[in-house]
Amino acid sequence: MRVLFFAQLKDATGCDSAEIAPPSPLNAEQLWAELLKKFPKLEAYRSSVRLAKNCEYAAPETTFANADDVALVPPVSGG
Amino acid sequence: MEIEIQFTNEPIAAKIPPPPSIGAHGAWLEFRGVVRGKENGQNISALEYEAYPEMAEREIRRVLESLSAKRPCLATKVIHRLGVISVGDTVIYVGVASAHRGEALELLTEFMHRLKQDVPIWKRRAFPLEDESKQARVPLAPSPSPPSGERVAARPGEEKPAVKTSLISLDEALAEIRSRCQPLPAVRIPLAEAFGRVLRETVCVREDLPPFDRSTRDGYAIRADDPAETFSIVDTLHAADWKPRQLKPGEAVRVATGAALPCENLRVVMQENVEHSRDQIRILRRESAVNISIRGEDLRAGKPLLHSGAKLDAGALALLATAGNANPFVSPRLRVCHFTTGDELVPPDQTPKPGQIRDSNSYLIRGLLHNFLCELQQAHVPENFELAKSQIGSPQSAIGNADVLLVSGGASVGERDFTRQWLEWLGFEIVFSQVNVRPGRPLIFGVNDPRVAFGLPGNPLSHFVCFYLFVAAALTKLVGEEPKTFSRGQLAAKLDDAPNPRETLWPARLDSAGLHPLAWASSGDITCLTETNALIRVPANRGSIETGEEVDFLPTTGMLTTKWQGRRAAASGRRSAPPIP
Repeated sequence: MRVLFFAQLKDATGCDSAEIAPPSPLNAEQLWAELLKKFPKLEAYRSSVRLAKNCEYAAPETTFANADDVALVPPVSGG
Repeated sequence: MEIEIQFTNEPIAAKIPPPPSIGAHGAWLEFRGVVRGKENGQNISALEYEAYPEMAEREIRRVLESLSAKRPCLATKVIHRLGVISVGDTVIYVGVASAHRGEALELLTEFMHRLKQDVPIWKRRAFPLEDESKQARVPLAPSPSPPSGERVAARPGEEKPAVKTSLISLDEALAEIRSRCQPLPAVRIPLAEAFGRVLRETVCVREDLPPFDRSTRDGYAIRADDPAETFSIVDTLHAADWKPRQLKPGEAVRVATGAALPCENLRVVMQENVEHSRDQIRILRRESAVNISIRGEDLRAGKPLLHSGAKLDAGALALLATAGNANPFVSPRLRVCHFTTGDELVPPDQTPKPGQIRDSNSYLIRGLLHNFLCELQQAHVPENFELAKSQIGSPQSAIGNADVLLVSGGASVGERDFTRQWLEWLGFEIVFSQVNVRPGRPLIFGVNDPRVAFGLPGNPLSHFVCFYLFVAAALTKLVGEEPKTFSRGQLAAKLDDAPNPRETLWPARLDSAGLHPLAWASSGDITCLTETNALIRVPANRGSIETGEEVDFLPTTGMLTTKWQGRRAAASGRRSAPPIP
């Protein structure tokens, strides 16, 4: 799956996206564990970041599979 | 409800047409959110916005659809600008059409509230409003660079290319320089100081130009539909007068060239074509021309005048003044630090002892940098590494807050090693150290993000060629200007050369007859430089090129603008060469 980073998360990870390929779909907890393995600096943002799957905010029970586009959405500030 | 959503990097137009549902809607409400001059208590000049556009569009649509269920409206249009946006410019435009104003006002208020909660758009950075001279750039990275040839540890998720120690081609070297140099943060400065800077925002016309219908002749304004022959003069208007009035049939107003006309649908009869007696005129001859410059005829409000990347010449400054842009957002002055090495060098006012030569490169570099409005610092360092270090102290004191570092080395292998050692001590990662061109093969390029450094081969002709080929490409990118291109031109005389395995940049004189290749003996040959205003690109293994053949060349003297090159290519009907990659 492709994981997208925006705004300050780009600075924290040093990139705007990453590919991960879990063997089976992940719940939010498992997804975070995978991401933190790769990008430990994300820990500081975890409490304020919302997860989105295929351009929609994820619900607590959402699972993320390899075909999904996942986005980490830090607090927004448009307009 | 009709919903239209746009994201744009360009300025949002001053006027947005209302939806076509005229008659159905009784209210057309427009809102513009603009960039404030303060962000978190700090004075700023601009904000940079970023979005996840695919999701942002879906979220905006979802929010609008849910809001319109309770407050039925007819149409909504949302435009959000992204990228760097100057203080005072529109970030977001929202237009709402509804049968009555109440629903539209409520929907707008609620929408803006929800936008700031749920729509994935971010303020990425604020650009502080600062005195440019006091502005500190990124501090020098402390870490020494890894030994050459070794793979550099990449940041997670980012593949960093290995250091190129082998010989690389001209195109590869240029691509590397362009990808490693990023435009420096822009600054807002007074228009009076902006000559030669590169504009970093798109500037639009604020008002129509001309701002009112005006007369292009000295004469008499009458109604366009008035067939009469004699008219009574009811007023006189000079430039700067503003006296709106409706003209009646038979009335004329005396107008000066440039005067604002009193109303629409007029024509101006030139004073040469009337007989004037006291407060009356009689028309002797009617022309077909109406002699009026219509409001907005030159430029309509909201039309982009100058785009980001334009170099501000005299005409551009006048245009900015006309557009009311008194403080353009431009690239900062580049800070360049130039070191000469080579123990054989003496200043030009001294007589060289046997084995010594006068230092010409300091003056060559100073002259070459002139067109880039650089702040230049120059120093000489002894060619003994330990001695050089002890004289300078620390890397920080050596290069201060420079953006670009140039080192003029000697041509021998030993001297090149010194340049390389010196750059590495200063914290630079060497990206490449040999390019397959002549002259100028031993060129070193290094980065210490965001700084860049060049180790230039010591011979003056190599210096000249490397400057226009490589250093200029870096400087152009750093100031955010459009890349320079190779032009196409015809040889006015034969270029006489034996096939060479390296690409050659051949000094030439360009005039109206075409390109005249100049004689040069070695890369130390300095005599041809005074005549050179172009460098002909001779492909590897090509050998001689006959008179009349077309070649790629790079203009040098005066750094001709892309505008000039474009016109020239069009005028000569020749194809222009692709941009340097």
